[in-house]
Amino acid sequence: MTDASAIDSMDGATLAVLTARFEGIARKMANTLHRTGRSGILTIARDFSCVVLTAKHELLATAESLPNHVLRGPEIMTRTMTDNHPRLKRGDAFLHNSPYHGCTHPADHSILIPVIDDQGVHRFTVLAKAHQADCGNSLPTTYMGAAVDVYNEGALIFPAVKVQDKYQHVMDVIRMCRLRIRVPDQWWGDYLATLGAARVGEREILALGAEIGWNRLEEYSSQWFDYSEKRMIEVIRALPKGRVTRTSTHDAFPGTPVEGVTIKATVEVKPDEAMIEVDMTDNPDSMPNGLNLSEACSLSTPMIGIFNSIDHTVPKNEGSFRRIKIHLRDGCIVGRPRHPTSCSVATTNIADRVANPVQAAMAELADGLGQAETGALIPPSCGVVSGVHDGKPFVNEIYLGCTGGAGTPWTDGWLTILHVGNAGMCYQDSIEIDELRHPIFVHARRLIPDSEGAGRFRGALGAYSEFAPVDCAMTVAYVSDGNVNPALGARKGLSGACSAQYRRRADGSLEPVPACAEVVIGPDETMVSISGGGGGYGPPHERDPARVLHDVREGWVSLERAASVYGVVLTAEATVDLQKTIAARHEMQRQTV
Amino acid sequence: MGLRFAIDTGGTFTDLMVATEEGVLTMHKAPTTPSDPVAGVIDSLRIAAEAAGEDLGAFLGRGEILVHGTTHAINAIVTGSTARTAFLTTQGHPDTLVFREGGRIEPFNFTVPYTEPYVPRALTYEVPERITVSGAIKMPLDEDAVVAILAKVKAARVEAIGVSFLWSMVNPAHEIAVGALIAKHLPGVPYTLSHEVNPSIREYRRASSTCIDASLKPVIGAYMRGLEKRLRDAGFRGRVLVVTSQGGVMDASRAAEAPVHLINSGPSMAPVAAKAYGAGDAAETLIVGDAGGTTFDVSLVRRGRIPRTRETWLGQPFRSHMTGMPSVDVKSIGAGGGSIAWVDAGGLLHVGPKSAGAAPGPVCYNRGGTKPTLTDAAVALGFIDTEFFLGGKMSLNKTLALEAIGANVAAPLGKTVEQAAEAIVGLATEHMVQAIMDITVNQGIDPTQATFVAGGGAAGLNCVAIARRLGCKRVLVTEAGAALSASGALISDLTTHLQAMFHVRSDAFDIEGVNKVLAGLKGSCEAFAAGPGAGAKAIEIDWSTEARYIDQAWEIEVPLQVSNFTADDNVRALVADFHRMHQDIFAVSDEGAEIETVSWNAAVRCRIGSGTPGRLAVDGRPAKLASRPVRFLGANWINADVWRLESIREGQNLAGPAIVESDFTSIVIDPDAKAWRDASGNLVIEVLAERRP
Repeated sequence: MTDASAIDSMDGATLAVLTARFEGIARKMANTLHRTGRSGILTIARDFSCVVLTAKHELLATAESLPNHVLRGPEIMTRTMTDNHPRLKRGDAFLHNSPYHGCTHPADHSILIPVIDDQGVHRFTVLAKAHQADCGNSLPTTYMGAAVDVYNEGALIFPAVKVQDKYQHVMDVIRMCRLRIRVPDQWWGDYLATLGAARVGEREILALGAEIGWNRLEEYSSQWFDYSEKRMIEVIRALPKGRVTRTSTHDAFPGTPVEGVTIKATVEVKPDEAMIEVDMTDNPDSMPNGLNLSEACSLSTPMIGIFNSIDHTVPKNEGSFRRIKIHLRDGCIVGRPRHPTSCSVATTNIADRVANPVQAAMAELADGLGQAETGALIPPSCGVVSGVHDGKPFVNEIYLGCTGGAGTPWTDGWLTILHVGNAGMCYQDSIEIDELRHPIFVHARRLIPDSEGAGRFRGALGAYSEFAPVDCAMTVAYVSDGNVNPALGARKGLSGACSAQYRRRADGSLEPVPACAEVVIGPDETMVSISGGGGGYGPPHERDPARVLHDVREGWVSLERAASVYGVVLTAEATVDLQKTIAARHEMQRQTV
Repeated sequence: MGLRFAIDTGGTFTDLMVATEEGVLTMHKAPTTPSDPVAGVIDSLRIAAEAAGEDLGAFLGRGEILVHGTTHAINAIVTGSTARTAFLTTQGHPDTLVFREGGRIEPFNFTVPYTEPYVPRALTYEVPERITVSGAIKMPLDEDAVVAILAKVKAARVEAIGVSFLWSMVNPAHEIAVGALIAKHLPGVPYTLSHEVNPSIREYRRASSTCIDASLKPVIGAYMRGLEKRLRDAGFRGRVLVVTSQGGVMDASRAAEAPVHLINSGPSMAPVAAKAYGAGDAAETLIVGDAGGTTFDVSLVRRGRIPRTRETWLGQPFRSHMTGMPSVDVKSIGAGGGSIAWVDAGGLLHVGPKSAGAAPGPVCYNRGGTKPTLTDAAVALGFIDTEFFLGGKMSLNKTLALEAIGANVAAPLGKTVEQAAEAIVGLATEHMVQAIMDITVNQGIDPTQATFVAGGGAAGLNCVAIARRLGCKRVLVTEAGAALSASGALISDLTTHLQAMFHVRSDAFDIEGVNKVLAGLKGSCEAFAAGPGAGAKAIEIDWSTEARYIDQAWEIEVPLQVSNFTADDNVRALVADFHRMHQDIFAVSDEGAEIETVSWNAAVRCRIGSGTPGRLAVDGRPAKLASRPVRFLGANWINADVWRLESIREGQNLAGPAIVESDFTSIVIDPDAKAWRDASGNLVIEVLAERRP
């Protein structure tokens, strides 16, 4: 196969075909992982990502990965691989979960496989990242909010450690994992699934290189990045120039100041330079808890806020990323953490307090841009449940309902968003499957009326769930932000309702339990979890009365709230009283001016 | 024995296949009347009667069975003409249809709103009751509360009711009791109980099947009664059957009682036809691509079995509702002859998913379309004869097609019109290839070891190109491939699928319990065979179980070798079969691990027609037509041979470059492919060399 054609510049048709093929490879990896994973967190919740990078550490194809897993970080991970292993060869595979070397947090075990051509040249790297049900922490949870440092966390850390050589497992590493990780068989199943997905990606790219030619594929990546950058330039040039600072406050947790942690994001849109810059340096230093962001999350989360705010058809890769600059500093809670700072909960809590103010800041730039804030994580309904039933231990993360999508310029909040960094990609559990797999009983799962952040487009409602152990005690580990600081609205949209959590005692009474805790629920008690609503976008009195009427009919919004918050007055026949509505809204308009 | 009719109502055309007593087939097409699909059915029969030189009444009077594939159920849902339906659910769980199962596509696209529940929350009622995983009653049914709810349901002018309680497939007592109360207090209001329509685990899917089914009962009931009456009035006295999502048929009157089975009525027949025509070798794996005007449907046949899935959506995945019903695994993408080609601001070419549809249609139809489509590109390259489209019934305007491609694609890409047309076909081909890759990886099929069966009016345009990209060595276009689904309907079996939930682990296998479940299923199968299946030429039961490794979340369907477990050997055989199936589908297995099974299935198939496909009537016209200039992909204009499909004799070899035409389709044989006609009338195309795109 000659590569003479590689000199030709590729046209828009060839670019489109090769893009479909690389995206197809990433999707094939993801399908493989989803179907073969063992733990519920992979196979039910779909908490994993599969991507392709160039040998020059550029993100190329992501299929439909979780945004906070992959926008930034994979390129640092592949660099760690090549730095630590200068001579890569076919058959190598590396295990990576180090938050100090580009991984999101230690629970996200990632397999990196360099794609090596027949001449021994490293051409691409495939990466499959999967959240583990357990990663060997000192407590049975992958979200150690109260861990003072990585030692307290306890997970084994792998900074791109060789785990396969010549396609054979390095059993030393496997044995170490099996001795440290709870439910080792489940881990082994998930490891095989992740490795299998990466191997599928490797095989497909090798075939593609043989068919198309390696130099031509390199030429393709370079032109695909240029195209993506060009799209991004056009989008930014059309944005209004401006600089907005927004804050978002995470509730007080162990190891934080009593007033909580306020995160400040300054977003600057520079249409003349076709650049968007986000400054995250004016934030507190790393804290003695698990909330600190890894470098990957510090870089990805502002980008989520940006990409949630602009034309969604711009490809997300190294090319469009050239038009974004994120300013970070060392040793900052949103920055580059120094070992042994704990990053156990890096993907959710503070991370959401970064993406949210960035998209809300974009909203302040102009009507029609950005989004409000999305509800916070991680309530007990998405916690890790564990215990011993009938002499057998169980541990897994459940997804019994967490909602809270933000109002946007175009739509109401996406109900099952989970959190801003996940974008709703995760699934919600079937109650029957949960009751079959674990000794738990789900008393209720429902949405909470009037919990939405009102707006022209409202936030999603919060969710109520109540569940209990069956014939045993159950530990529920969770880190529930948003008890005090709700998801804020944007452009005069209102906040969503707060989250909360309780233990229901045997006598039926409710006892509040801490927001960041491992709570033991006795056999005759239940866990009550309330997740927060999403923030609204735009003034509530600008909401289409037909939408308000629909919300009232469906029971999402009460009659009283429709009138007092939305200025929509309904008749006895449950239709909109136009005259009274116009008058009420006129008054609301007058008050806001 | 009399005439057998198979009628597939599509969005644009109604396809009819007629089989005579001697197994001779004829194919006919009539335009579909969207507002009255039965009119298209009768019209197609009238066209066939005229072709046979008979009066419609006499012609229909010779009919023995009529099999109907219909999109009426899915259309009723899409157009919102289903019944006003209430959902009765377990107390504490009112939002099952609102949450669905989560999941989303396009993570950064917030312009698509969250889907409204299939039944509005305003018509959802919580019933005080609760059953546990073991079937134990945790909270007894409060019958007084049910009576009060039914009064509210009545006041809300509800027309149908879906009842789905947690764990009802383990213990249906509460659903049965509620069903009796509905019959007593709301006589005549149709209702569906979840444990009857879909006794499977996962409450969202079961509730969704239940509510969809209930909502369709009035409209499908009326449709089936109307269909039967108008066929009887026209002179038909045989049996009226309809195609189900599972690739079988059922009596029209029975379908009216369980209309959720009709959601995928059309596409499910393509693999049935492919299997009958293409699987000379039972071990063969077939990839079936059915390309029409707006969609490209992919399905599979793996070693003689058609894979099924429970993840069937009414619309786009995660943006619509899942039917929850087992269905032939079909993946549909928005790619077909009508797919529109355009170039974005950054200079990147796109083909689809927007379609010019039937109206205005491709530019070359000259009906007001201005945006170039895949069909226009095929016309520009000479793949389609502008004078012989639909057998010459419609002529196409090539000039308009060239102008549209020039202005919308060629100019922005800086290409000639021919290059642009080639790029359009190339990209559409890639999209179809990716759809095939998705379904084959999910079912663990290696495309290079499969035969590609191309059906539908637009499939011939790029079936060889698709096969080449996939690495398939053989393409098969069946004689009646342009009406692939209808030809499948002609030979399908009367089928019913039965399922029972029974959880058991391989390391603590309750042989007695399993046998009891299987015996129950067998009894139901025998009752079906003795009832609707009476007089069948053959009866077979396919046994299977849905199993997984302990702690896995998704089950796979594993065929059972026995319908009664007599010894541990049987259990070991099942476990071994599971490992093999898992290895087949996912390329990994965990030999040492135990498995668990969740449910047990029996599909009883009663042969009512002929099991073997017939042949089209011999066409006396010459096989070789006048050659014409064609620009094949990756080649220059050449004068290509043109053949008439129906007239090519068995054993006649043709070499690419060539075009093979029929009244209903045009098949492009690329320069380095060769083709021949086999004994079943199929056009077999051998794709010779690997080429670079």
